[in-house]
Amino acid sequence: MASIEIDGKIFEAENGQMLIEVADAAGIPIPRFCYHEKLSVSANCRMCLVEVENAPKPLPACATPIMDGMKVHTRSDLAREAQNSVMEFLLINHPLDCPICDQGGECELQDVAIGYGQDASRFAEIKRAVPSKDIGPLIATDMTRCIHCTRCVRFGVEIGGVKEMGAPGRGEHTKITTFLDAGISSELSGNMIDVCPVGALTSKPFRFSARAWELTQRDGIAAHDSLGANIHYHVRGQQVMRVSPKSNEDLNEVWLSDRDRFSYQGLSAEDRLLKPQIKVDGQWQETDWQTALQAAADNLQQIQSTEGASSLAALASGNSTSEEGYLLQKTLRHLGSDNIDHRLNQIDVSDQASAPLYAGFGQSPEAMENINSALIIGSNLRKEQALINHRLRKAVLKDRGLISEECIGDVWAVNPLDYELNLPLKGKLISTPDQTLSDLAGILKALQESGASIDAQTADIIASVDVNETQKAIAESLQAAENSSLFVGQLAASHPQFSQIRSLATQIAKASNSVLNYVGFSANHAGLSLAGVLPLGQAVDTAGLDANNILNSADIKGLVLLNLEPEQDAWNSAAVVDKLKQSFVISISPYASDAAKDYADVLLPSAAFAETSGSYVNALGQQQSFSAAVKAPADARPAWKILRVLANLLGLNIDYDNSAQITAELVDIAKQAGDIDNLQAASLNNLEMLKSGIQRIGERGLYHVDSVVRRARALQATEDARLCEAIHLSPAQAQDLQVFAGQSLKVKQDGNEITMQVMINAQVPQGAALVYAGTAAHSQLGGCYGVLELSA
Amino acid sequence: MKSLSSYVKSFALAELVKGLGVTGRYLFKPKFTVQYPEEKTPMSPRFRGHHALRRYENGEERCIACKLCEAVCPAQAITIEAQPREDGSRRTTRYDVDLYKCIFCGFCEEACPVDAIVETRLFEYHGEEAGDLLLNKEKLLALGDKLEAEIAADREQQASVR
Amino acid sequence: MSLSPEVTAKIDHWISKYPPERKQSAVMGALAAVQDDNGGWLTPELIDEVAKYLEMPAISVQEVATFYGMYEHKPVGKYKIGICTNISCLLCGSDDVVSHLEKKLDIKMGETSEDQRFTLKEVECLGACGGAPMFQINRDYYENLTLDKIDTILDELD
Repeated sequence: MASIEIDGKIFEAENGQMLIEVADAAGIPIPRFCYHEKLSVSANCRMCLVEVENAPKPLPACATPIMDGMKVHTRSDLAREAQNSVMEFLLINHPLDCPICDQGGECELQDVAIGYGQDASRFAEIKRAVPSKDIGPLIATDMTRCIHCTRCVRFGVEIGGVKEMGAPGRGEHTKITTFLDAGISSELSGNMIDVCPVGALTSKPFRFSARAWELTQRDGIAAHDSLGANIHYHVRGQQVMRVSPKSNEDLNEVWLSDRDRFSYQGLSAEDRLLKPQIKVDGQWQETDWQTALQAAADNLQQIQSTEGASSLAALASGNSTSEEGYLLQKTLRHLGSDNIDHRLNQIDVSDQASAPLYAGFGQSPEAMENINSALIIGSNLRKEQALINHRLRKAVLKDRGLISEECIGDVWAVNPLDYELNLPLKGKLISTPDQTLSDLAGILKALQESGASIDAQTADIIASVDVNETQKAIAESLQAAENSSLFVGQLAASHPQFSQIRSLATQIAKASNSVLNYVGFSANHAGLSLAGVLPLGQAVDTAGLDANNILNSADIKGLVLLNLEPEQDAWNSAAVVDKLKQSFVISISPYASDAAKDYADVLLPSAAFAETSGSYVNALGQQQSFSAAVKAPADARPAWKILRVLANLLGLNIDYDNSAQITAELVDIAKQAGDIDNLQAASLNNLEMLKSGIQRIGERGLYHVDSVVRRARALQATEDARLCEAIHLSPAQAQDLQVFAGQSLKVKQDGNEITMQVMINAQVPQGAALVYAGTAAHSQLGGCYGVLELSA
Repeated sequence: MKSLSSYVKSFALAELVKGLGVTGRYLFKPKFTVQYPEEKTPMSPRFRGHHALRRYENGEERCIACKLCEAVCPAQAITIEAQPREDGSRRTTRYDVDLYKCIFCGFCEEACPVDAIVETRLFEYHGEEAGDLLLNKEKLLALGDKLEAEIAADREQQASVR
Repeated sequence: MSLSPEVTAKIDHWISKYPPERKQSAVMGALAAVQDDNGGWLTPELIDEVAKYLEMPAISVQEVATFYGMYEHKPVGKYKIGICTNISCLLCGSDDVVSHLEKKLDIKMGETSEDQRFTLKEVECLGACGGAPMFQINRDYYENLTLDKIDTILDELD
């Protein structure tokens, strides 16, 4: 501890803190541009110069460590003169184009110039101009405005994990730019817009559309992954104009993934459903709510009486609110059916009776920063849960701000794809999906060999497995580490042997005393599970059908879809549309896709994520409530209101005035459920190999996870979205098939044949092909995993 | 005494004489009644009348959708929406002035960094139907084109003091 | 385009001077080797190759290559004459050196002669103030220049 004096007041501070940190904590304003609390200190803007007694010159507050007895003046004549001079220099080359600059009104340079700038420039020479560059569909650049604070460069190196921006040149010729014509590909790139103190990097989708002072800020919860990142909606009238992160140190810190930031564009999609519609003799008719809901209720009741309750089913998307899910399952169970689910991405749910109620994190994101050894199983962690990846990356990289490859944490991966993670992997086991079980079994066996006890049945099954060096090393590392963790992701969850993977992962975790985290699940996976949107739940004894069976069973005659497009969301979408056409389908959705118009019988327009109130439960089990940021357009209504009326028409007397009343009930339910123990799984049954052949790896596209994201135009224009359209083959595989990149290839799965463009991707192992799920190709092809037939 | 004098005055028609005196005096003084509309008063180049949007000489509209006029307008009479135009420049897609709300304070032209929105000398306008005085971008630009010579001359004349 | 074995051998020589996990420390030496091999200048493709070879982000290599004056990004002549115009040389008459060379070679500063033999370049202090005015032809220093001496130096070049 040290005590320092700033502007005549004494403050206690930790040794090693920088002056600016102490001043910030005390609320003493010091102007700054390059300093950012989450980034390393570069001290290159010089705006934070302050006078320190006994120092010959003013010192930068961001790079001056405190010393006991230091006396600092932030507003003395010397300090003010230094600050004013720096401001004048910074303004020399900054264009006076505030009226056409999107940052105008929320610009750090503007704000500081009010306090420290002069009213007129003394600079008579010609200002510098820097050509702007197209760096992708998310960020607009106006590089003449750049003041070279290098926040974006440091963000890329330290947070994004890839250095994409840089500062070539020297002196006046310095330019912040990417290499040649490269774009920004980081999945966190939107944060560069936030860190840029001027209008050099601005949001492209938001470009020129509103001013900061026209926007109202409303709170919300991100709807696309299970972290539950806190966000601000910036709203004008009844339109969400943009989304920015709301600081929450426990979850998203001050960052936000691009998916959560730009998905709001999906709210204004062209195929928004605006009025209730019913299909009469094969023709869609717009109608009023009363008629549509009555038609829905009548048909459901009729099916219940003629075909039996078990022919009714309901499916909800993973980003429906808990309240919506709760009413949906209440309604369906009132009708006597347990066929309800939200786990569209899973096919193997055979262990649901013994598995944890929902797949969440076993530790807080903050605790993840202390991991010494981590094993990633079936997860593209960097893309599917970017901010968890960032925590793990922090754990691995020794020190904030250092691009040192020197690790304190070891990260290992067992993946079907050799992902380009932005953290150094200590080792990896990359093999086709049919090998996943034996890869994991080997690790477990290595643990057993080094003394961990495992149950007899498992020991028996894995007895014949050979242990290789990597598996041994992984086992050793996990066992030796003080804090070790497992990350099980979506590629594992959608694997046809997920229950076996879960069993192995759980036993590995137990044997090595590691924490088990399930990552990449949908935003309200936990909330919906708690609300009972599962065929088998806390209060249900006999299991109904799970999502995959509901969509494929011929017995289902009546189906309610909530915010869902099974033609793209389902594990196996190809057969879905024909199947659904045979049933009576009520689609409660913000959108009317062409496919939905084909198979549905009643379309009920619901509010999308920013337009409804409710709550999500994140992977930590934290319930986060939110209210609607804007009103749903036209006749669309929040789904919980739709379901309330539908339930009443079906004879279930429920009476909620607002969603908070439902939330209150859900809180009780969550309390009863208590803490979820992630280390639960069915026992290992077998290590059966999948069918041999060219294995499909059906990773869900980063920007194809739900109906809203699929309609976000800017996200769909990114490289990450575009590469989802192709089939990815390993170079060797392509050579075997004699195909080249860009060539089209006939792809056959489950008897469905389509033509896809080939992309050569060294991440794909030999014997496998990557065809993304959630895409147009996915909806015509088959299940996420399976055997492909490829012919040129 | 006071009542007596007023009694006398009322019989002598003193008030009437005094009044006629004023009438007579003004009867022979030079007249300053303006015979509108045949005659018009002189007008300041700073007159704040009907709004118009100006263009540059090359025909490009001046307005850059900075929305400062919208922000400064005390009557909230201006509504602007903007989007990047095809060539990437910042332009309005909607520029409405509600003349029913407008109080002709002139803040909009003060705020404008590019002299796009101006208040012209035009004050003789009317609306025949409800909504006629809701001006849109098209109408504002058309008026600006029509009155450009006069607007430009007025700006020129005032340049040294603005 | 990939780097020739001779160049990679030179780069490996530089890499060997640093700890194995600090490969990127060899970037300046690597760029110099690649530039020499390519006739005195660097292309973006070569920068990218160096980046791949040293496992660095390409933009970082570009930062280095554009920061230092000795890396060229346009073709240069056989003899690159770097004339110091900093304070000591300026006081001792570097202006005359510049104008003499410009006249003699019929090119301006920053240009290359038509026969691709000479490039004139203004450089910052080369640390030879004791011998001002001075210039550098490729890697050799020539100090205490006079106009006659310059003519002799240039005549002696092949």
